[in-house]
Amino acid sequence: MQTALSVLVDSTLITFVFALAAIGLAIIFGLMGVINMGHGAMLTLGAYFTWYTTSAGVPFAVAVLLAACGVGLIGLLLEHFIIRHFYDRQFETLLLTWGFFLVSTEIIKIVFGTDLRTVTNPLPGAAHLGPVVVPAYQGVVALISLGLLVGFALLLFRTTVGIKIRALVQNAEIASLLGLNVGQAYKLVFVTGSAAAGLAGGLISPMLSVDPYIGNVFLVRSFFVVIIGGIGQVLGGTLVGSFLIGGSETLFALVSGQVVAQTIVFALAILVLRFRPTGVLRAE
Amino acid sequence: MTRSIVARPGAANAGLLRSETAVAVVVFFALALLPGVASGYVVYIVPQYLLYGMLAMSLALLWGFGGILSFGQAAFFALGAYAMGLAQHWDMAVNPAYVALLISIAVGGALAGVVGYFLFSAGVRDVYFVLVTLALSIMTEQITISQSDITGGYNGMFIPRMSLTFGDASLDLSDDVPMYYTILPLTIGIYALLRWVLASRFGKVLIGIRENEDRVLSLGFRTPLYKTAAFAISGAIAGLAGALYGTHASFVSPSLAGVLFSTQVVVWVAIGGRESLLGSLLGAVGVAALSNYLTAITPEYWQLVLGIVFVLVIMAFRGGVAGALGGLTAPRRPETESG
Repeated sequence: MQTALSVLVDSTLITFVFALAAIGLAIIFGLMGVINMGHGAMLTLGAYFTWYTTSAGVPFAVAVLLAACGVGLIGLLLEHFIIRHFYDRQFETLLLTWGFFLVSTEIIKIVFGTDLRTVTNPLPGAAHLGPVVVPAYQGVVALISLGLLVGFALLLFRTTVGIKIRALVQNAEIASLLGLNVGQAYKLVFVTGSAAAGLAGGLISPMLSVDPYIGNVFLVRSFFVVIIGGIGQVLGGTLVGSFLIGGSETLFALVSGQVVAQTIVFALAILVLRFRPTGVLRAE
Repeated sequence: MTRSIVARPGAANAGLLRSETAVAVVVFFALALLPGVASGYVVYIVPQYLLYGMLAMSLALLWGFGGILSFGQAAFFALGAYAMGLAQHWDMAVNPAYVALLISIAVGGALAGVVGYFLFSAGVRDVYFVLVTLALSIMTEQITISQSDITGGYNGMFIPRMSLTFGDASLDLSDDVPMYYTILPLTIGIYALLRWVLASRFGKVLIGIRENEDRVLSLGFRTPLYKTAAFAISGAIAGLAGALYGTHASFVSPSLAGVLFSTQVVVWVAIGGRESLLGSLLGAVGVAALSNYLTAITPEYWQLVLGIVFVLVIMAFRGGVAGALGGLTAPRRPETESG
């Protein structure tokens, strides 16, 4: 019973970490349809910014916010100088964002070095909920992750900005005819997604050792989370997708090795992609 | 009517292809003479670049001519190398290395064929195909790490140099010059084979799919089958290149299947020129040679420059180096085609 509960807690925590890592992509890819292969690099940048500022003595919470701003700014530059010229060409944006990954990874190596870096866990200790032990930091991250998802969903479905974005997603041409500044709206979405990725990278950094490829662990998984969950389903889709990709990996890992579990999950994700290309939450 | 529509993009490439043949003859001739004027490390390393070039051509067929991008070519390459490595333990009447070469072709072709048919028959979009091939590459890397009993795990696997046998005669390829003169003809052979494939009706349909898949489909071609076949050929060639690479390098490790190597191939092909087989081949040889040389001097900055060049090629020079050179030499066409 106790094992079952702790497995449940583990897979829930992992689900929220995956959701956190995928939020930025759910925004950029899920809403705008931009295949952002630089998503992993944005997570990595967030982690490095957090490492850099915390080692300079900045409190962790502030460091993570700075990381989000920093990566948001990089996203703004990337969008303004490159991506915005290629919105109608999905294939080119895929390659260009991969180029962004190549370039930013090398810049990270030059600026921060290739050694493994560690960010001190700001909340050591654990909460005892009955028989189950929840690591405090992971618990808080899960709550932040949930908060972000709900926040973005509210933003999208309960505000004027949200209705504009949804109009843009549905039909950019008509939205622009109705007076929406399409270029500006795309820019806003891209920067928000980048900042969310930077925030996620910062929050994930204390859980893993930071190296120049840390974000890549989450790149393909995040894409699968968004695709499996259903493109454009920021709240529900991301959670369901994260559970199917991340949570189920924890469950499979119980009966097989970690690597086999990951392979199974990837294979299942490919099956879903084949048979339900619109994701599990989309009816059509 | 069908023929003229499908053949048109091919005709647009004809000027480039004609001049390409001349360049190819010169390049291969020069490569054949190379061991006469150079020795030592150059003769050792050039075959490795040629195998990278073979891998690059496998991608060029798919991406440059079929419009299908794969981030998973390294998976087939690594599987081929592992097949070659495992062959050393086989005790059989025929040369096990020959069997390994055939198996690497079969495994690469079959895996690509199955995955390709599975996805293309459902009309999975190109960008999702990229993600699946990326996942394929990650899965292959993970499996080779985890199955350490068979593959040696992280430590990799030692592979002896193969020998060529003709009946009773046999030629040991542990020396670099015989190895060179084994790999060079095979590379030329693959180049010629792919040129033939592209000049055939199949190649015309493939180019048609790149230009406008819906139109080719509505003309009655079963495009999923053509795309599957292109991916299978591409996988088979990547597998063969990998098997030869394994025996040439005498070593294979899981990172050969990894995402970084996989996308390195994409960079070679983009810079060399995705719509030219020779451009892709020379792109791989050139970039790999430069990487090897400059990594010793300035590792970080070289990779950075490579990344920037890649971005610039994608933004502004769709044809890569081959396209830029072809544009200079080819007679001006009245209609400029944007793709």
